[in-house]
Amino acid sequence: MLKKSLGVLKYGFVILIVLLSLGPFLWVLLASFKTNAEILSNSLGWPSSFRFSNYTKAFQIAPISRFYINSVIVGIFGTLLNLLLLGMAAYVLARFHFRGKKLLMGAFSLSLLIPGAAMLQPLYLTVNALGLYDKLIGLIIVYTGFGLPVSLYILSSYFLTIPKEMEESAYLDGASFIQTFFRIILPISKPGFGTAGVMQFLLCWNEFQFAIILTTGNQSRTLPLALYYFKSQFASDYGVMFAATMVVIIPSIVVYILLQEQVVSGLAAGAVKG
Amino acid sequence: MVRKNRGYITLFLLPTVALFIIVYAVSLVILFSTSFTEWSAGRSPVFIGLANYIKLFTDDADFRQSALNTGIWVVLQSTVHVAIGTLFAVILSMKEFYWKFARTVYMFPNIISGAAVGMLFLCMLNPEFGAVNSIVRLFGNADYSQNWFMDYATAFLSVTMTWLPYAAVVTILILAEIAAIPESLFESARIDGASNFKINLYIIIPMLRNIIGTCVILSGTSMLQKMDIILMTTGGGPGNQTMNLPIYIYKTALMDNNFGYSNSVGVFLIGFGLIFVLLCRNLFRIGSSQN
Repeated sequence: MLKKSLGVLKYGFVILIVLLSLGPFLWVLLASFKTNAEILSNSLGWPSSFRFSNYTKAFQIAPISRFYINSVIVGIFGTLLNLLLLGMAAYVLARFHFRGKKLLMGAFSLSLLIPGAAMLQPLYLTVNALGLYDKLIGLIIVYTGFGLPVSLYILSSYFLTIPKEMEESAYLDGASFIQTFFRIILPISKPGFGTAGVMQFLLCWNEFQFAIILTTGNQSRTLPLALYYFKSQFASDYGVMFAATMVVIIPSIVVYILLQEQVVSGLAAGAVKG
Repeated sequence: MVRKNRGYITLFLLPTVALFIIVYAVSLVILFSTSFTEWSAGRSPVFIGLANYIKLFTDDADFRQSALNTGIWVVLQSTVHVAIGTLFAVILSMKEFYWKFARTVYMFPNIISGAAVGMLFLCMLNPEFGAVNSIVRLFGNADYSQNWFMDYATAFLSVTMTWLPYAAVVTILILAEIAAIPESLFESARIDGASNFKINLYIIIPMLRNIIGTCVILSGTSMLQKMDIILMTTGGGPGNQTMNLPIYIYKTALMDNNFGYSNSVGVFLIGFGLIFVLLCRNLFRIGSSQN
């Protein structure tokens, strides 16, 4: 008896969790194909036809394509720069012992303990002083910095698993330090870079609070801001609002489904630091 | 190897050190030093000692409400949220047919932008056409039009519900830890006649102390950052019902241009986070060996 009711509770809980996770997403997806009248009269039902007019209209009302391009640029360069810089630093920290290393590692892990919100005004000031306000490059540098602790940790743990003999034989063959890093170490560390890269890309793609304070014009705003700034424009046309929401959500979901294993191991690796 | 490569070591570290200085070190220096000043846009900071902090603690109702809300959300997230994620992980670890699907789907709300999550809930809870009110109407109450995010009675609860149940990160971390428990432990327990329920309660959960502690810290501290969802849904309102410290910093710094004051809130936020992390580390004895 006890066993049976426990089983019912268990499935009830699983179904509830799945509904809570998938429900809002599916409901907005369905609604994004409806007309305004349908949304108001038939909120829970199936759309009468799968028309894409809401999507084309969303792109007309707000400069979503501009925001999209900005997000892609920030995502790609924010990830590449982060992987390059942190890859180099993580390699040296994982492989060599030198004076000041402990201090450096301590300082870097300190960055995990600072809530981003505390740095809102100081970073706004710094970015302004560097002349990077309202420029994509400003966002790229800030996001590269935000990914510092997680990427450093994931990459240096990966480098530690590579046997030292790999480099020693490269040196014997006359390869330089730089050649060894770029030709030998980078290619065999692809899985580590993959994990760190996915985490960093999602950070750049989803970040909101610094995007909002470090940009002011449409030419440098990223996709999450589209929803914030055009909420009022969309408000009269619900279907368009739903379509715009889907446009922001779908890339994250696609990246996640394709690279799920990297995300899962990235989360696990990142958390050990906590 | 070090001597010969000293130049390269410096070269490889330099960009990251520069990045660290620009993003973190300079910010911390600005934050602490200007928290003791009266400073608004276009003026230079004037030293006023502890005046900002004194005002914060004695004469600022919005700050008090923000700190209180942040505290409540930290506590809820580090208890209820972690419990939901842990329970789900224990269920999924039985590897029944749905486990991979459920794990993937559960992650959706965590992987999409907070702004989009805010938008999803804004639509779901819309008084006119939102799914939640439509479902209530289905059960008879034809004029039901609760304005979840703007009603004083429901705003705080509605905002809380946008993150409290979504503990997929906790689930993933705990699943990974359960997978690392040696199989032999379960076998000997089964031989001794333990039921699945007992195995969960007495073997798995105690083995997870360290990782649960980590999850408590991660989930709790994530509440010190929450800004996007609140800004999308309530903007901190109605009144200051759903304000938290990040929103308050955003408002004082970038809407009122009261830089010195907002930075004293930033210092408070960092201190708040440090105390929380230290408390959790002691509570869960993180780092010490299991049992």
